[in-house]
Amino acid sequence: MTTNTTENTVSTAAPLLEVKDLEVAFKTQQGEVKAVRGVDLTVYPGQSVAIVGESGSGKSTTAHAVINLLPGTGKITGGSIKFDGRELVGAGAKDIIDLRGKEIGLVPQDPMSNLNPVWRIGFQIKEALTANGVDTKQRRQKLTDALVEIETTPSGDDLYLGHEGKKALITALGNAGVDEAAVAAADKALQVGSTTRAQAAGILESAGLKDAEAVAAEHVTGASATDRVAGLLAEAGLGDAERRARQYPHEFSGGMRQRALIAMGLAARPKLLIADEPTSALDVTVQKKILDHLEGLTSELGTAVLFITHDLGLAAERAEHLVVMYKGKVVESGPSRQILKAPQHPYTQRLVAAAPSLTSRRIQSAHAAGIETDELLASHADSGAQKRGDNVVEVKNLTKVFRIRGSRPGTGTDFTAVDDISFGLPRGTTLALVGESGSGKSTAANMVLGLLQPTAGVVEFDGQDITKLRGRKAFQFRRRIQPVFQNPYGSLDPMFSIYRTVEEPLRIHRVGDAKAREKRVRELLDMVALPASMMRRFPNELSGGQRQRIAIARALALNPEVIVLDEAVSALDVLVQAQVLTLLNDLQAELGLSYLFITHDLAVVRQIADKVCVMQNGKIVEQGPTDQIFDTPSQDYTRELLAAIPGASLEIGPEVPAV
Amino acid sequence: MPDAPQTTYRPGQAHFFADLDQTPLLGAVDAPDETSAPTSLWKDAWLQMRSRPLFWVSAVLIVLVIMVAVFPQLFSRTDPSFCDLSRSVGDPRAGHWFGFDFQGCDVYARVIYGARASVSVGVLTTIGVTILGVLIGSAAGYYGKWFDIVLSRVTDIFFAVPLLLAAILVMSVFSTHRTVVLVAIVLAVFGWPQIARITRGAVLSVKNNEFVTAAQSLGISKPGILMRHIIPNAMAPVIATATVSLGVFIVAEATLSFLGVGLPASVVSWGGDISRAQSVIRTAPQLLLYPGGALGLTVLSFIMMGDVVRDALDPKARTR
Repeated sequence: MTTNTTENTVSTAAPLLEVKDLEVAFKTQQGEVKAVRGVDLTVYPGQSVAIVGESGSGKSTTAHAVINLLPGTGKITGGSIKFDGRELVGAGAKDIIDLRGKEIGLVPQDPMSNLNPVWRIGFQIKEALTANGVDTKQRRQKLTDALVEIETTPSGDDLYLGHEGKKALITALGNAGVDEAAVAAADKALQVGSTTRAQAAGILESAGLKDAEAVAAEHVTGASATDRVAGLLAEAGLGDAERRARQYPHEFSGGMRQRALIAMGLAARPKLLIADEPTSALDVTVQKKILDHLEGLTSELGTAVLFITHDLGLAAERAEHLVVMYKGKVVESGPSRQILKAPQHPYTQRLVAAAPSLTSRRIQSAHAAGIETDELLASHADSGAQKRGDNVVEVKNLTKVFRIRGSRPGTGTDFTAVDDISFGLPRGTTLALVGESGSGKSTAANMVLGLLQPTAGVVEFDGQDITKLRGRKAFQFRRRIQPVFQNPYGSLDPMFSIYRTVEEPLRIHRVGDAKAREKRVRELLDMVALPASMMRRFPNELSGGQRQRIAIARALALNPEVIVLDEAVSALDVLVQAQVLTLLNDLQAELGLSYLFITHDLAVVRQIADKVCVMQNGKIVEQGPTDQIFDTPSQDYTRELLAAIPGASLEIGPEVPAV
Repeated sequence: MPDAPQTTYRPGQAHFFADLDQTPLLGAVDAPDETSAPTSLWKDAWLQMRSRPLFWVSAVLIVLVIMVAVFPQLFSRTDPSFCDLSRSVGDPRAGHWFGFDFQGCDVYARVIYGARASVSVGVLTTIGVTILGVLIGSAAGYYGKWFDIVLSRVTDIFFAVPLLLAAILVMSVFSTHRTVVLVAIVLAVFGWPQIARITRGAVLSVKNNEFVTAAQSLGISKPGILMRHIIPNAMAPVIATATVSLGVFIVAEATLSFLGVGLPASVVSWGGDISRAQSVIRTAPQLLLYPGGALGLTVLSFIMMGDVVRDALDPKARTR
């Protein structure tokens, strides 16, 4: 049984996972493509290690190679993977299947698609238990029978408390005359299906029971699978676990599903847990809670964790050892703190410089040290020159109510997506609308864009109420405000060439003749730093960041005054994100644009916004200048959001590492 | 090259960084790839199709069938309606490779000339069905609300009526003027619901894309967005289904002619010939075999082509 490794036992322990010179290749129509080229990686028992890299760097492929779950045509073409002393490359399929779940658990990336919607949560976790041959009632019974003979053995690590056992323990406590408060505390601490015999003995003892060990040995005799499921869900941080186990995945939120997946990954008490971007699909505050919980749980169980993430800040905060990958190779690895402080490889330096979470931390420490932070910011720098004081967009008491259909006609209920919000966007500056999913920020943006009629309130653009615009005037208004959306794969028409995409606004608004339009398209592509030769290409040939730049070019085509950026950089890799943010800032300085920046990511806000509005449940709970919100937040919710930025516990100086 | 250890590292976990020569930073962040040739959906589809033998087999067959339908005189010099009863059910001989039918007409010539009726009904019906189906389906999917409810129910009603049964009923009303165009119209009127349903589904999945919202915020009108952005993106499954259903409509025409409610006897068609071969099936089965074989081959080639096209246009199969 693996126990917590502490610093001094370190050098003697043998590695749990040792990957040497790993090569993975995919077969494609163009021939073999090497996705992983000579990767070395070592994980010690109980240690947390993170693989960091952008999409396509081979980080997930490396992790999947360990449990031989490579997608499609992927194949390990060289190197060795040693787990707990055993060689996995070339091992039989059965051996690896035995290993999965039992010794190496996996928490997958997307909680939405990784639970089977037709089975109850409890059933799926039970499946994970039985598939790994643990903790079915029968096996427990056999084990207990065996244990009766060697009852003197103190080890009770493998036996869990069943729900009858718990009742018996509480009764025993009552009979022993323990006072009520202590019984209640013990009742809370004893978790069916999760508390082991040794732990139970400890709890009983602290409740004041004399022969605690004997009582625990008598009643903690193994839990049924149902009890174990409840225990696992409770461990993963789901309250009311027994009821939750009977629910279906669609009744769970994203965060709850991810917790269920964590419960599943840890069901068989593996020695290593691979967490593949475990929280990137979740809201920031949920992200932090889940990662905190996972950290506590794995350190308690002594499980080693292999994180896979694109966020260097998150990786450095959660792992002691970092492995930075780029184009299938490890470019740098070492202790997290050392890599953050003195990144050696230029790619790592770029990453350290670009990660929004780290930048945000840097600004914070700079503020604490009383240093001017302009050079750290993507924005702010020259926007002051354009400030003319007036608000280009003024939103007053804006409300949007959606009617939600009930099960029968006439039983619909009203849902207030945006609840009486007011804010102003000063000309030439950036206003960030921050909130979690469902906070109403995108609904508000769509009303500002004039795509959605508000239920109440006004949106004034340059003093003109746009909700009352009709016909020709409404059409003219479109030229002045343009959106850029989140999903780089959905925001460009796949049937339109880049030229047609960027030219469309000009054509629709009858700007210039064909020749003038082509000139303008070239100019726009140049503005977003893309070569004019891209014109003949189609969106499917472009990367996410390039598509987003095309979307910005399209938005700029008509020389708008305001651009609404709806999570415009959220789906991009950090380096690309930093690049797009810089581009946006340059464009703002050059063209005097005003941005309404909608995001859930406060780290990015710090770099780009002048003013911040924090939204929760359709209301603006706090608004003010960015520095004020970050340095002296007045609302708990804002503080919670700020605390959720990864890297809060890192010690980062204000200086950017030299690139 | 490992760094000089400053703190205690566990074996294999010392601070390491790769040699820059081995791991060069490849150009600027997110630099566009300008080396590959530009491609589009259609070009990709073409590249994929042309590597499949099935595509070439069906393409050659379809081209052949269409050639036969358009220029039958290139393939046979015999007049298909020149019949001589003295040659009734005559054996094949030089110049008359398939022999003679019950009426003493040349079977080869009739098979060649029969292609025109079958293929024209197939093509015309498919065009009609696609126009009707795309219009109704995209309107239902795009405008939604009550418009969708009404159109979808109408689609369901037509879907519930069996194509052939309805066509037989309507065709039997017309005892005269049974032409290729009439048969095509009747089949199209009862054949559109499938395309309409597919179009509606495709439109529903396309219309929630952000490029549609972007088009709205450019001020493009609703019909404009439908025509410019939504229908072109929803066409792939429609084209694939239409290609397959072309074969189905050729069969439907043959069935109608076989039952005597399709094209009149004066028009040479495979369906009519199959019908007439029925009476001598025991004594001269080859009379059924030739028009039936031609029909089967034509339908098969269109269905094979439909399969290949569907695979090539399947968005899930598209990489990059």
